[in-house]
Amino acid sequence: MKIFSESHKTVFVVDHCPYMAESCRQHVEFDMLVKNRTQGIIPLAPISKSLWTCSVESSMEYCRIMYDIFPFRKLVNFIVSDSGAHVLNSWTQEDQNLQELMAALAAVGPPNPRADPECCSILHGLVAAVETLCKITEYQHEARTLLMENAERVGNRGRIICITNAKSDSHVRMLEDCVQETIHEHNKLAANSDHLMQIQKCELVLIHTYPVGEDSLVSDRPKKELSPVLTSEVHSVRAGRHLATKLNILVQQHFDLASTTITNIPMKEEQHANTSANYDVELLHHKDAHVDFLKSGDTHLGGSSREGSFKETITLKWCTPRTNNIELHYCTGAYRISPVDVNSRPSSCLTNFLLNGRSVLLEQPRKSGSKVISHMLSSHGGEIFLHVLSSSRSILEDPPSISEGCGGRVTDYRITVVPLASVIVKESLTEEDVLNCQKTIYNLVDMERKNDPLPISTVGTRGKGPKRDEQYRIMWNELETLVRAHINNSEKHQRVLECLMACRSKPPEEEERKKRGRKREDKEDKSEKTVKDYEQEKSWQDSERLKGILERGKEELAEAEIIKDSPDSPEPPNKKPLVEMDDTPPVEKSKGPVSLLSFWSNRINTANSRKHQEFAGRLNSVNNRAELYQHLKEENGMETTENGKASRQ
Amino acid sequence: MPTVVVMDVSLSMTRPVSLEGSEEYQRKHLAAHGLTMLFEHMATNYKLEFTALVVFSSLWELMVPFTRDYNTLQEALSNMDDYDKTCLESALVGVCNIVQQEWGGAIPCQVVLVTDGCLGIGRGSLRHSLATHSQRSENNRFPLPFPFPSKLYIMCMANLEELQSTDSLDCLERLIDLNNGEGQIFTIDGPLCLKNVQSMFGKLIDLAYTPFHAVLKCGHLTADVQVFPRPEPFVVDEEIDPVPKVINTDLEIVGFIDIADISSPPVLSRHLVLPIALNKGDEVGTGITDDNEDENSANQIAGKIPNFCVLLHGSLKVEGMVAIVQLGPEWHGMLYSQADSKKKSNLMMSLFEPGPEPLPWLGKMAQLGPISDAKENPYGEDDNKSPFPLQPKNKRSYAQNVTVWIKPSGLQTDVQKILRNARKLPEKTQTFYKELNRLRKAALAFGFLDLLKGVADMLERECTLLPDTAHPDAAFQLTHAAQQLKLASTGTSEYAGYDHNITPLQTDFSGSSTERM
Repeated sequence: MKIFSESHKTVFVVDHCPYMAESCRQHVEFDMLVKNRTQGIIPLAPISKSLWTCSVESSMEYCRIMYDIFPFRKLVNFIVSDSGAHVLNSWTQEDQNLQELMAALAAVGPPNPRADPECCSILHGLVAAVETLCKITEYQHEARTLLMENAERVGNRGRIICITNAKSDSHVRMLEDCVQETIHEHNKLAANSDHLMQIQKCELVLIHTYPVGEDSLVSDRPKKELSPVLTSEVHSVRAGRHLATKLNILVQQHFDLASTTITNIPMKEEQHANTSANYDVELLHHKDAHVDFLKSGDTHLGGSSREGSFKETITLKWCTPRTNNIELHYCTGAYRISPVDVNSRPSSCLTNFLLNGRSVLLEQPRKSGSKVISHMLSSHGGEIFLHVLSSSRSILEDPPSISEGCGGRVTDYRITVVPLASVIVKESLTEEDVLNCQKTIYNLVDMERKNDPLPISTVGTRGKGPKRDEQYRIMWNELETLVRAHINNSEKHQRVLECLMACRSKPPEEEERKKRGRKREDKEDKSEKTVKDYEQEKSWQDSERLKGILERGKEELAEAEIIKDSPDSPEPPNKKPLVEMDDTPPVEKSKGPVSLLSFWSNRINTANSRKHQEFAGRLNSVNNRAELYQHLKEENGMETTENGKASRQ
Repeated sequence: MPTVVVMDVSLSMTRPVSLEGSEEYQRKHLAAHGLTMLFEHMATNYKLEFTALVVFSSLWELMVPFTRDYNTLQEALSNMDDYDKTCLESALVGVCNIVQQEWGGAIPCQVVLVTDGCLGIGRGSLRHSLATHSQRSENNRFPLPFPFPSKLYIMCMANLEELQSTDSLDCLERLIDLNNGEGQIFTIDGPLCLKNVQSMFGKLIDLAYTPFHAVLKCGHLTADVQVFPRPEPFVVDEEIDPVPKVINTDLEIVGFIDIADISSPPVLSRHLVLPIALNKGDEVGTGITDDNEDENSANQIAGKIPNFCVLLHGSLKVEGMVAIVQLGPEWHGMLYSQADSKKKSNLMMSLFEPGPEPLPWLGKMAQLGPISDAKENPYGEDDNKSPFPLQPKNKRSYAQNVTVWIKPSGLQTDVQKILRNARKLPEKTQTFYKELNRLRKAALAFGFLDLLKGVADMLERECTLLPDTAHPDAAFQLTHAAQQLKLASTGTSEYAGYDHNITPLQTDFSGSSTERM
């Protein structure tokens, strides 16, 4: 690939001399009679475009396609020639768009048929074209600056497309000689200049255009090398649509374009909104989008060649898109497109559909009937791209799964990040942070109450993991350790801990059910010591593991609630949070709303509790009743080694 | 990169090699020895490479289709018969067919041609092929350059002196040239013996089959990885930057982005990122297969040591994101979770084209940054929007309602739009003037002043055809519009300004309409 090839700089030189005002002698009916009109009206006489109009609209179409497909690094300089040269724009990127050119052309206006033909000549424009080719573009300048001492690697090539009405073959030769001589002179000038570059290679494309029905006085000639710097080709083309077709062919040749026809596009009928017919839309794009067809010589894909266009188009079938499909396709190239017939209804339906953010997969029509998706049309920010998807066998097929490799057996990666774990480590918390932490805790409580499994990854686990209540116990311990490690930061940190501790105090029945021999007193005995231990041993992994559990807890909860929202489902349970603040949580209470009194007393109790060490018996009480001599049961061989037991405040 | 081994089984390969030892070797034995070494290396260090084995003389045959089963390849080596003369061109055509059928035209392949440098005689000999090269038509085009990205490695069971004594070496060099210089010729250094064949194949392995090892980094987390297939050097612009770019062995993750935002980007190539255990990494390259049980237990231990790749893979999968990785100066790629059809999932890396802005819809890579750096969260507080894709500065033609009148139908549609709106005046006053001005602008740019006159005539006619029930404003607006178009059609700068717009005639019928009521 070369950035600075001939197609980096294109100069259009369009003849603006009096004879270009002549009609192309191809009529356009513009007054089409519409149905249901009053009878007896004679339509207005058809009009015809001038040679000038044909030349200008064909060159604009060339530029339209070029700008659509190469909005950068491919530049056009537009020159109009009559008694002098009028340079309509510059090489700068800001000047490179259709609106600028159209406005400049409108300012020039059509040629004046009454001007003195002797003063007018296309030569002025050709000389200006060579001059402008010597001017450095932003891209060339940037590349030269970047390359420093290798600046000479930056090439200066270009193409001059000259649309004129020549008198004869010898007239054409005179024009060629003039360009060659001018290049020679300007290269000498450029050699001594910092702002100009010598022309290394110039392609002159001379297009002789004449009214339909006349005989051409100029013969076609294929590309020929006139000097090491200059090549020239001559096209003799009738005006009107023939000229437009010629320039369409040239833009494809000059910029290595290829054509794809999207077939079977279903489109709503204007008249019958419920029916849809199938349409075809032809798109142009860089030919690399066909690289797979070109190399494998898959000729059966080729469709009809249209209206004498020089190349065949490749037909691809529309596949009705799935909605909301966010998928990462293996895409080996993405190329901007331009519709051949930009304003036709099928074209604009397709482009609008894509511009609205939908993607369409395209399928190769195969005789065998197997379905091969080879391309995708998709827009990115108002630009439509043809993506080439890999349709051949993958060389990476059947790879070893990541779970079979290094670290694949480890199951407790904590993958996601949650508010509490990331927030609690901050020096100071906002009210919102505290609220977030509390929410997370309530969610976990809710999950435990419903006996939901903790979302611990089971990927790669062999055999059964720990029992569910055991998992919760470990989780609560980790959580408490994490929060305790930060309570000294602020009063707000303290509040998170309070919330946590309040939540850990289980309703009695539940606690009974889950007791499994674990005794409160034991926890109480150990709590202080373990907390200290934890603070020392608190490792990074603890908090990481916690994050994962918490986050997944939230996800599960969210899922659970979605299910409950269906009309057949029971009402969602009332919110837990406020209940948890209650110091003595009877199980009934968790089912109903909290009274202002209990809410208030809870607050007072919490505040008071901070001022003194709570009586151990009350802390562990069930319905305000404390079980005595629990240690006796303990000594009868119940588990004793558990550390980090829950404690109450 | 799949490999095709093309083995010469012509009679000349049975020429004995003079050796001091007792056993008598033929050149084909040397070749088989070298290939065994290559296959063993691949089986250990390059396991995922697909390899096919083709033998040829005057005909060619696909002995083993593309496989990762190196035992099968090895077995085929020992079951080769001897045939007639060398006919390289047909074998290369065979390679083209085999590769294209299996992989299409876009996947790079390595072709390892094993021959003794006797290039055949008469028709079908390489000399004959090269001599007629310039007279080929499309139908019998010479198979080189291969119609897919390729490297052609020619392993000669001969030393340099022998090849230079004829024009063999020149012919083989022509072959590489014809493949656009992609490839290399290897010859045996010194006398033909097993040891020297080994060292020749060792050079091939070093050049083409050494695994690419890198360190994947994200902050303080790292993992040693093998990237398969090896990322190949890439030339951005042969003229201004001809030095091939090579990717870093430190692969630094610089950020994360949603899959929806990166949106199926085009990539140069994609690669598996396989975590490797460090201690195992040290053994890589010895070429000796470990005792199977040892390897298994080593694998089990490695499996239980947490690895950043697994964490990263899981995170990307859960979050629906990709990681952007720095491959070199102004060169990026992406890491993502890729699941194949069998529910196996893997960490994959794709390389973007080098450059400051590989994906137009993300803008310049250097300008991407963490969300926290933005004044306002670009994704919105509820994660309900996205800063991507970036909008281009200029709209493309299909997004801006350009005017194209090359086909008469384009012009007719535009005129009829005006006419339709003209008949619904004054309700459609705004659209009427909008369409009118659009047509006016285009006609002025194209110097198509006759059209302005024509449309003016048409509007005047419409005015005469207005039904009695028509609103009086309709006639005023039509006359006004026609008059303005006529003025523009004179082309005088006063009335034909491109940026000038025809505005509706200011009328006030409120008084008269009240009267009527």
